[in-house]
Amino acid sequence: MKVSYEWLADFVDLDGVTPQEAAGVLTRLGLEVETLTVVDLSEIVVGKVLEQIPHPKSRNPLWVHQVDLGDHVEQIIAGAPNAIPGSLVPVAMPGTTVPNGKVVKDMNIAGYKARGMLCSAEELLLGDDHSGILILSSGKPGASLESVIPSQVTMEIEVTSNRPDCMGHLGVARELAAGLDRPMKVDFMPAFTGTANPPGRDLVKVSIDEPDLCARYIGGVIKGVKVGPSPEWVQRRLRACGVRPINNIVDITNYVLLEYAQPLHAFDLAKVSPTEIHVRRARVGEKLLCLDGIERELSADMLVIADSRQPVAIAGVIGGEETAVTAGTTDILLEAATFNGSSVRQTARELGIRTEASSRFEKGLPAELALAGARRAAALIADLAGGSVHREWADVYPLPQEPVRVRLRPALVDEVLGLHVPLEEAESILKRLNFHVRALEDGEWDVLPPVFRLDVTIPEDLVEEVGRVHGYDRIPPTLPGRRRDSWMPTVPSIGRRLDVARGVLAGAGFTETWNPALVSGRVLESLRIDAHAMRVSNALSDDMDTLRTSLLPSLVGVVALNRDRGRHDVRVYEIASAFLAPVGDKSEQPDEPMRLGVVASAGPSAEAGRATFYAVKSVLDASLAAVGAPPCTYQRGSQELFHPGRCAAVVLDGRLLGYMGELHPTVASTFKIEGRLVAIEIDVEPVLAVSGIPGVHPLPRFPAIERDLAVVVEDHVAAGALLATIREAGGDFLERARAFDEYHGPQVPDGHKSIAFTLTFRSPERTLTDAEVDKVMTEIKLGLQKRHKARFRE
Amino acid sequence: MSDPSDLTKEALAAIAKARTEGELETLSLDYLGRKSGQITKLLSGIGQLAPAQRAALGQSANEAKRAIEGALAGRRTELEGARLADIAETEAIDVTFPGSPLGRGHIHVLTQVQRQIETVLESLGYKVEMGPEVETEWYNFEALNISAGHPARENWDSFYFNPQLLLRAHTSPVQIRAMQRLKEPPIYIITPGRCYRRDAPEATRLPYFSQVEGLAVDRGLTVGDMKGTLLYMMQSLYGSERKVRVRPSYFPFTEPSFEFDVSCGICAGTGCKSCRHKGWLEVGGCGMVHPQVLRNGGIDPERWNGYAWGFGIERMAMSKHNVDDIRLLYESDLRFLEQF
Repeated sequence: MKVSYEWLADFVDLDGVTPQEAAGVLTRLGLEVETLTVVDLSEIVVGKVLEQIPHPKSRNPLWVHQVDLGDHVEQIIAGAPNAIPGSLVPVAMPGTTVPNGKVVKDMNIAGYKARGMLCSAEELLLGDDHSGILILSSGKPGASLESVIPSQVTMEIEVTSNRPDCMGHLGVARELAAGLDRPMKVDFMPAFTGTANPPGRDLVKVSIDEPDLCARYIGGVIKGVKVGPSPEWVQRRLRACGVRPINNIVDITNYVLLEYAQPLHAFDLAKVSPTEIHVRRARVGEKLLCLDGIERELSADMLVIADSRQPVAIAGVIGGEETAVTAGTTDILLEAATFNGSSVRQTARELGIRTEASSRFEKGLPAELALAGARRAAALIADLAGGSVHREWADVYPLPQEPVRVRLRPALVDEVLGLHVPLEEAESILKRLNFHVRALEDGEWDVLPPVFRLDVTIPEDLVEEVGRVHGYDRIPPTLPGRRRDSWMPTVPSIGRRLDVARGVLAGAGFTETWNPALVSGRVLESLRIDAHAMRVSNALSDDMDTLRTSLLPSLVGVVALNRDRGRHDVRVYEIASAFLAPVGDKSEQPDEPMRLGVVASAGPSAEAGRATFYAVKSVLDASLAAVGAPPCTYQRGSQELFHPGRCAAVVLDGRLLGYMGELHPTVASTFKIEGRLVAIEIDVEPVLAVSGIPGVHPLPRFPAIERDLAVVVEDHVAAGALLATIREAGGDFLERARAFDEYHGPQVPDGHKSIAFTLTFRSPERTLTDAEVDKVMTEIKLGLQKRHKARFRE
Repeated sequence: MSDPSDLTKEALAAIAKARTEGELETLSLDYLGRKSGQITKLLSGIGQLAPAQRAALGQSANEAKRAIEGALAGRRTELEGARLADIAETEAIDVTFPGSPLGRGHIHVLTQVQRQIETVLESLGYKVEMGPEVETEWYNFEALNISAGHPARENWDSFYFNPQLLLRAHTSPVQIRAMQRLKEPPIYIITPGRCYRRDAPEATRLPYFSQVEGLAVDRGLTVGDMKGTLLYMMQSLYGSERKVRVRPSYFPFTEPSFEFDVSCGICAGTGCKSCRHKGWLEVGGCGMVHPQVLRNGGIDPERWNGYAWGFGIERMAMSKHNVDDIRLLYESDLRFLEQF
């Protein structure tokens, strides 16, 4: 919200307070001043143009002026032609910095000296007009421009949603007064100035059909106004706050909105007919041509102001064009109402507009504010537009504002803040903020907040009031440190337990990614992994409308992106949740398994895919070992995203963790990737559940004997099955069995393969003899022959 | 039987003439070898001598042994020195040639920053708590005092699946769940995790982001305790010269509420371009937990009170590493990720 410093000074004495100091006070109180703009006009002087001739030599159209600066005359050159002789103009002399930042210098333009600059409104930051020199309506040559236009300071203030009372200058000034400990110059409730007959309520009948949506409606009547431009100071202040002046009546309603934070609306009384006001819900099919020239269709959940025939305004949002105040208006109906915040917010949102009025109403305004705003506006209208204010307005107030009293145990202030605030100081602060404080016999305080503070309802709210004015900077930082007789033992987080796996992955060349969980539902559908997918009902775009059911599409997308940017070898992973709704019931919270997803790119050949498969497999083994998991087993598996012949189900402790293998060729083609992709996707929580610090095996005391064994079997026989047989037949002496080579070639019959194993034998009790090992080897060979029709190569 | 002193003379001459370490090894065996070394033999023959001669011969044989050992060691050092003298030239390599590529991968900067934050808070006794990203309306809003129609709701514009189910807008629901589960204070937890708000992606914000929130529930906690915790945290993360300030603000779930800033690391609080001349960088929000929120978590506000804070991990990562566009963090361009 934009705030004019000059305006604040109407309400609180700011003598001796710089705008920077005031901004500091407001920020410390919770009204954060985001920017402070100073328009300093004290260095600019008023000049009177004595003579204006076209520059005789310049190629560009320039004008040479002789300007009276009081005690001397200077020659000044300008491009705009509007500073005709006799005009009073703002002049910046060489050496001055104009408010927009430009530094004025002595110039010589084609042989003509120019000393100083005639300024436009834009250069002085007094408006957007840069078409010509600003022509002043009054002023004495040589005097500071400040004598005609006061220097201006504006602040951009962020007002939190609990303080709608500060969405006007009066509220900001109240905070400033409390912070500076200076008195306010005006009372919250202005006097009522209406005296004209007949009573206003006889001229306009008001009825509220929806008291829940409209707590109060005041309809004031002012007759005989003269519509015209507002005085300069009103226009100046409106402009400073970013509001465009229109005419005196409309300007005053805006002025009071910016002052009291109470939105108002002025109707042309003659156009509201007959003079009845109904606050009701819109009827289906009703439309309203709004003040911004747009006709809007209304729906039945919107509250409108209607005369006996049709809506004339959308309550709290925008007025209608047909009943607007125009140059010919003489009698006005002044509306000051209290509309329900949620209702206004919903209507404004549905209509896609947000106005100064709606942004205030939607925070929930106190009903007492409506009366204050209406009185202030009536007085200003009578003052600036003439007209007579009628007495006894219509004021329908079905839900009177109830005062909320708060009981405060004063010691709570110190207890919560961790700082001693003397009682007198706390009481003084509350009083400065317009709270009534009454000490009760039991020592507690009975506190009555001012009518404009609906946000204060519990003792902690009062602690905040005292604390922020007393100054949070004064609270010394401490750490909680009472003697504790109970505590929570610490345990490493899941993230931290997985860091060792991250280390293994990094060592193997895999880079971690964080990818959005919202992905394209269409892509999940085309990959046939959408059965458990949850779709967002109000997505921003269709490329992020669905929660991912797998990390792999994101990671394949990462490969595609990096390939597009010239990177060929891409190895990436992510540790994050997948989201799985129960099929058929997407109304409950989904399962959110935390997963490890890994994707590595490979060349296009089948062999490249195969080699990468085994490389990635060992990375998975190493990662699991790193977190302290027992070894997992792999079985031929199948899953939608994986190559049907190159997919392993990863099983740990009898439980399926997920899959690893080459991705299905259609996955790569969906993402327009040439080449093969090898991936892992497993649940990590079950891994951590069976992981821990492994016990240590004693180091062997006796030497081992190693034997190699080349086994020839039919192609379909899996190495895993051979290993299982070897382990079974190997007995206690077989310490380790490892397959290290698979061979197809001339020495192996068609349809067969040769797999080479290294077997390690050892006894914990003695040195084994070759004869002992030979015996076991024979057992192993027998087992392999019997179970897998194996033959052996020497 | 040879005379030890003759043997010594002969051996020292041979040792001096030896050209290689191999020759020295042969000489060593010749004279001192365990089975057939000449000195060894001499010493082993002593037992057969008369006691009177034993002492004299023993002494001279031992002297001979020490002399030969000394000469061997001296010559060995000489020969080794000669052998190593010119390896500076003969075995020189180009040490400026780059090392073989390691092809190491990288841990995401957000993981790193999140872990740093966790480490700092764990050192104060806080424990990491996690919770679901798809939340119920009650945990995400109602329990935090943000009822339907609350004017502050627009600050948490959310993605919905149905009117009761949405993507959490903050990790605060984890605080409620933790209080309900742990039941009995003291509770000191932090809740890192992903959150979602319905903001169109741009350089400064994304519809998805990560937060760390902290919650302390104990007896007699104060705003001062909260300030101290924030100061400890910011100094640990950014450097001990940093300062923290709290400014009054408003959140429905804390009372009083604050925003907290850390002093700018570039200008040390005097104001510069990177802090937009404020001297401070906004970090996050904090406050004393609203009594109703404690009640919603099953904690009696008459017996316990608490403070909480929260801030975005992305913003912290960006300010620590000079990242000017938040989208880089989630775009997964390896050229960016490999810089961490």
